[in-house]
Amino acid sequence: MSLYPVLWKELKDMLRDVRTLAAIALMPLIMMPLLGISSIYAQQLQPGVVVVVDDDKACGSIGNILNISSSELKTQIIDALRNGGYLVITHEERNNKLVPDLKVVIPRSFIANLTSFNRTAVVRIVKNVASSKADQAVNIVNSVLAQYSRKVSEAKVEYLGELSSIKLRPDSVLNPILTATVFVGPQGGQVSYAESIRIAIARLLAFSLIFVTTPSTAYITDSVIGEKERKTFESLLATPVPRWALIIGKILSTSLVGLITGLADAAGLILFFTLPSMTYGINMFGYITPSLIATHALAVYLSVLASLAIILPLVIRSGSYRVAQTFSLIVIGLASLVFFMALYVDLDKITPAIVRYILYAIPYTHAVGMIEHIVTNEFSLVTTHLIAMLVIIGVLLWLSLKLFNEEKIIYSKT
Amino acid sequence: MRDNLAVMMKDVVKRFKKVTALNKLSFKVPEGSVYALIGPNGAGKTTTLRILSGLVKPDSGEVKVLGFRMPEEKEKVRGRISYLPEDAGLYQRLTGWENLLYYAMIYYGRDRANEIAEQGAKISGLSKKDLSRKASEYSKGMARRVAIARALMVGSELVILDEPTSGLDVFSSYRIRRMVREYVNETGSTVILSSHNMLEVEAICDYVALINKGVIVAEGSPERLKENYGGRNLEDVFISIVGEGS
Ligand SMILES: Nc1ncnc2c1ncn2[C@@H]1O[C@H](COP(=O)(O)OP(=O)(O)OP(=O)(O)O)[C@@H](O)[C@H]1O
Ligand SMILES: [Mg+2]
Repeated sequence: MSLYPVLWKELKDMLRDVRTLAAIALMPLIMMPLLGISSIYAQQLQPGVVVVVDDDKACGSIGNILNISSSELKTQIIDALRNGGYLVITHEERNNKLVPDLKVVIPRSFIANLTSFNRTAVVRIVKNVASSKADQAVNIVNSVLAQYSRKVSEAKVEYLGELSSIKLRPDSVLNPILTATVFVGPQGGQVSYAESIRIAIARLLAFSLIFVTTPSTAYITDSVIGEKERKTFESLLATPVPRWALIIGKILSTSLVGLITGLADAAGLILFFTLPSMTYGINMFGYITPSLIATHALAVYLSVLASLAIILPLVIRSGSYRVAQTFSLIVIGLASLVFFMALYVDLDKITPAIVRYILYAIPYTHAVGMIEHIVTNEFSLVTTHLIAMLVIIGVLLWLSLKLFNEEKIIYSKT
Repeated sequence: MRDNLAVMMKDVVKRFKKVTALNKLSFKVPEGSVYALIGPNGAGKTTTLRILSGLVKPDSGEVKVLGFRMPEEKEKVRGRISYLPEDAGLYQRLTGWENLLYYAMIYYGRDRANEIAEQGAKISGLSKKDLSRKASEYSKGMARRVAIARALMVGSELVILDEPTSGLDVFSSYRIRRMVREYVNETGSTVILSSHNMLEVEAICDYVALINKGVIVAEGSPERLKENYGGRNLEDVFISIVGEGS
């Protein structure tokens, strides 16, 4: 009942400014897909450069089993690198304008060493340490070499078997021990490869919460400081409107911005998966489930509510936009820290425990927790984090009410 | 216990770090009267009115508003008073009408809000068309008229107006003065206002208190004050008292 007038006024006030609201909704819609494809595009736009040189230009064979040549290996390396998006230059066409990220050299006597039974063949790799793309290229080259090396050793084992008349399978000589890789989730339980991808996605989603806390804090600042600057607060404070109704009314109405960002973020999330799917033909739709989208939207909304509940008592006592925005920035900075950490570490596993308990007092930790556990279907943990988040928000609101002091508000310095 | 006083202040002291804004201020306002606080800039008028509205806590002294002790019983007082701060503003993105409606809802709830806001529209003297414009498009005087209407329309037992007619043209001030006088005559409510306009004070007030440096230096009906200080009008009285004091 007492809440109604405040909500009525605040919502009217906010919805009159449709343009800003639209801009806020648009932000995650643009940011999320951008976040998804920027890394892939960046790689495409700026290909790494690899020089591949064949100094051997020789052929050889292992018994009658396998014929090999240095040019064949070179072609395989070049093809693999080109498939990986690298610009490959061979020795002959080399120009000096491009600084290579990597140089691969098949030296003289390579084939001779490779076909012998008492020497080892070497491929020289020269890596530019300043290049971020070199590592990936080294991986590609190594995997080609590993395959080639395997092919040659299988042939050698087969040849030796022929000579010694021992009945053998190359595998049992070359690979007497097999490893079977299984993926485990954060709780130690076994998860599928798909789930391991989902965990990575969850971390990215938790990180994306950075984008949604900012606009709503700007709104609550305006809602409070605006009343002070336009001198509407003093007369409002003398009316019988209950203090709790003012606090809840302002937070609920500005959290509408959070709801809008939450929904836009969910839509952005779908785009986030659509664009790479369309552009690169990778199907990632299997990884988004309704429960993930719903939990993400809820986490967004609660993060916004928490930010508002933290900022309100600070803003309400500050006299100017400048002071209020500085406070908001500090809160957003804190939130960003948690969201950023979520990208790299599992917040529920941090040691020493004291750090973990400090993190648990920060509401954003639980927003991250909700998202990270929903992908592994750990519903009880999702619920625990949800309840923790609600309790913290409740405590913050209660503090706001306790700290509400008309005199301090009226005489706050501008 | 009402003892027919709308307001009672006794030995009220209010200090800001270095400044003593109110220095043992005492006065009484009878129910059903228009009471004016006059005094030079910085005398303590606004501070006094804020204490009466329950927004500011006095450091010491006794304050009663409508029989309730302040600030202890301010929650009970709030629904019975309305307060117009000296530079009260309007919500810029809302229309004048919506500004009235907001306060009407706060005091009377959704059901009676329209009826009360209509009342406010009448008091403001603004046309329907003007009231449907956004407050950001209003002139200073138009905004002030809506703000005064907002304070008067709710029919409080005590209306506190800090410089109600500052910034208004001659005609608008005249209208507002008449509304205030009529309001008190018709409802038996009390109005306490501050003003720098001696003409206004003489025209509508039953009692005047001259406040200087946080104390009341003279009090009485305009006629009594003129008699006592031998002035032709209140301005003479004001000058002779404040001039002597400083
Ligand atoms: N926030 C504050 N900090 C310090 N001093 C203050 C503060 N607010 C008011 N004062 C001081 O209290 C005294 C009384 O101020 P008040 O606003 O009550 O005067 P006033 O009579 O309303 O003046 P005016 O006619 O200019 O409106 C002044 O000396 C003023 O400087
Ligand atoms: Mg004043």
